[in-house]
Amino acid sequence: MKQPIQLSRRAFLATTGGAMSVPYLIPRGVLAAQDRPGANERLTMAVIGVGGMGGHHLRDLKRFQRSGEVHIAAVCDADETRLAKAVETAGAGVQPYRDYRYILERDDIDAVVIATPDHWHAVQTVHACQCGKHVYVEKPACCTIEEGQAMIAAAESNKMSVQVGSQGRSQHEAYLAHRYLANGAIGNVHTVTCFHYPSPMDDNPVPDGEPPAELDWDLWLGPLRWRPYNARYCHGVFRWLMESGGGQIRDRGAHVMSCAMHWMNADGTAPVTVETTGTSPTKGLWDSCINMNVTYTFKNPDWTLTWNQPGEPVPKEERTEGEAKISRPGYGAVYHGDNGTFVHWGGDGGTWAERKCREWTPPPGAIEVYESPGHKEDWFNGIKTGAKTIMNIEAAVGVADLCNLGNLSYILGRKLNWDGAQRQVIGDEAANRMLGRPQRHPYHL
Amino acid sequence: MSVTEFGRPAVAVAATGATAGAAYNTAVDELISKIKDESDTVRTDAWRSAGDVGAAAVAPLAALTANDAIEVARAAKRALWQVVRQAGRPAADAERNAVIAELIPLLADGQPMPVRREVLWMLSEIAGGESVEPIASMLSNNQLREDARMALERIPGEASLDALEAALEAAPDDFKLNLAQSLRQRGLEVPGLPCAKLTPAKQTEVTPWTPADAESETAAKG
Repeated sequence: MKQPIQLSRRAFLATTGGAMSVPYLIPRGVLAAQDRPGANERLTMAVIGVGGMGGHHLRDLKRFQRSGEVHIAAVCDADETRLAKAVETAGAGVQPYRDYRYILERDDIDAVVIATPDHWHAVQTVHACQCGKHVYVEKPACCTIEEGQAMIAAAESNKMSVQVGSQGRSQHEAYLAHRYLANGAIGNVHTVTCFHYPSPMDDNPVPDGEPPAELDWDLWLGPLRWRPYNARYCHGVFRWLMESGGGQIRDRGAHVMSCAMHWMNADGTAPVTVETTGTSPTKGLWDSCINMNVTYTFKNPDWTLTWNQPGEPVPKEERTEGEAKISRPGYGAVYHGDNGTFVHWGGDGGTWAERKCREWTPPPGAIEVYESPGHKEDWFNGIKTGAKTIMNIEAAVGVADLCNLGNLSYILGRKLNWDGAQRQVIGDEAANRMLGRPQRHPYHL
Repeated sequence: MSVTEFGRPAVAVAATGATAGAAYNTAVDELISKIKDESDTVRTDAWRSAGDVGAAAVAPLAALTANDAIEVARAAKRALWQVVRQAGRPAADAERNAVIAELIPLLADGQPMPVRREVLWMLSEIAGGESVEPIASMLSNNQLREDARMALERIPGEASLDALEAALEAAPDDFKLNLAQSLRQRGLEVPGLPCAKLTPAKQTEVTPWTPADAESETAAKG
């Protein structure tokens, strides 16, 4: 007996009525790739994690909803107070969830924005890809080397478009910087030195206690091993816990070093050594470095990347009326080339390039580089065409690996000799065990 | 890995039998004294350098993790982690084995639960087959079994795998899926115990927003 053919909503639209209902003057190629939304099709989305950056993403998606590109169908958070606020922001027709897996069960949702604490990024991204959802996930991509590899595998095997929220790559001045450096304006770049002000210390330590009624502590912890609630874990301040946030190197480092890897054409490469020194907080729950110096050496081509807190901050450039003002001059990087230096400030949603770069005119025959239309727009394009996003998961995991190896060298108090191809620390069995970490049931990759 | 909180159990950790066998020396006394110091800086310098003191410091530091002064307890725990991680460095087998030998007695029933939990994670980073049996014995303890499972998952070798498989046979139904998770992570197929990772389980009490909500808000504002 012939079995009925099960078609997904996308497949149905792409092959039958949905496609026929689209005006036939639309050029071939802009209709959906196999099982992908078509160029003119509205994307149905959900936001998982709606505090902090998640709240920003929700408001940003509403902008796209108003222009008809996106439909927001659901929001999710482990904190009921935050969830209630998000429901109000999202408006009518948006379903709230505490457990993100209800969202992954819904066939009508094309894509999810994940803005939970870092220790959830990999698990939720892998699950979303396995359930056929495209993903925008906040940076850093992952907390361990093992998580990063699982994310790459899940995106690739399920053909999902993943954009990671190191949105500095999509800023206009980042494009100018990339073009400037790619054309050798300061010669061969041999050293990139990042600077960033110190991480904070927990100056108000409190004893462990009971979680607030509105917070599902078990779900907040997710894959992390269980421990009693402490008010200094969340919200937002998870950033300063090594296990969940990893300090400034995993926060701003995932921006500033993302720019470096992109502009140095180093995505897909890895350092051969990583060596960290750092100062520890003298009290409180948070255990990330206050000051930190990490040196990454790359081979073939040879160059050095350093992450420095505080490093040597460069005073911000004066800008004239009409120029984008530098609002976050406390972090950035200096690129040292054979023929000069180049400075940028910021590296995230605010990325500011030195004047000489902005005023540089490409000569005839200059190398052109990709200019992102915007970080979400670039993702939407990836969803609809299958094109690699500017901060695709392979690139983002490469950057997160830098951050995680920097922290690992600090934790272990020793230099790591890294085999990027095998993803192993050479000759260090204990370090290799820490490239992954067991996850609590059932919140696992 | 993080240095997470022990909490402050009411019962102080007793010195273990293993301590007596370790080289208890002035360096330990000095370390413990500094860990108890009132100065944040002195405590921090002490725990940062605790790795050099080594196995002899394990039991005294574990006892201090139950100290009533929260920052002293925290410094002691961080010092313990320093000892573990320094002992795990390449070509330091003797130190590593000595630290493991000091950690295992801290899993005993009389030790405070937070200490036993933390020690499971310490062993997960540096231990080998010698630790499998004492860790596996924690799988029958409802408060520690999940941490013990994860520790065994992480320790390479046949002994830990065998322990996980044996535990699956004997485990109560509410823990079988956890063990199956570890066995899959170690590359085994576990038929009959489907993976639960994608099964939603938690309901919210928040309801969708409706236009009526806006009307009532407006009315409330007058």
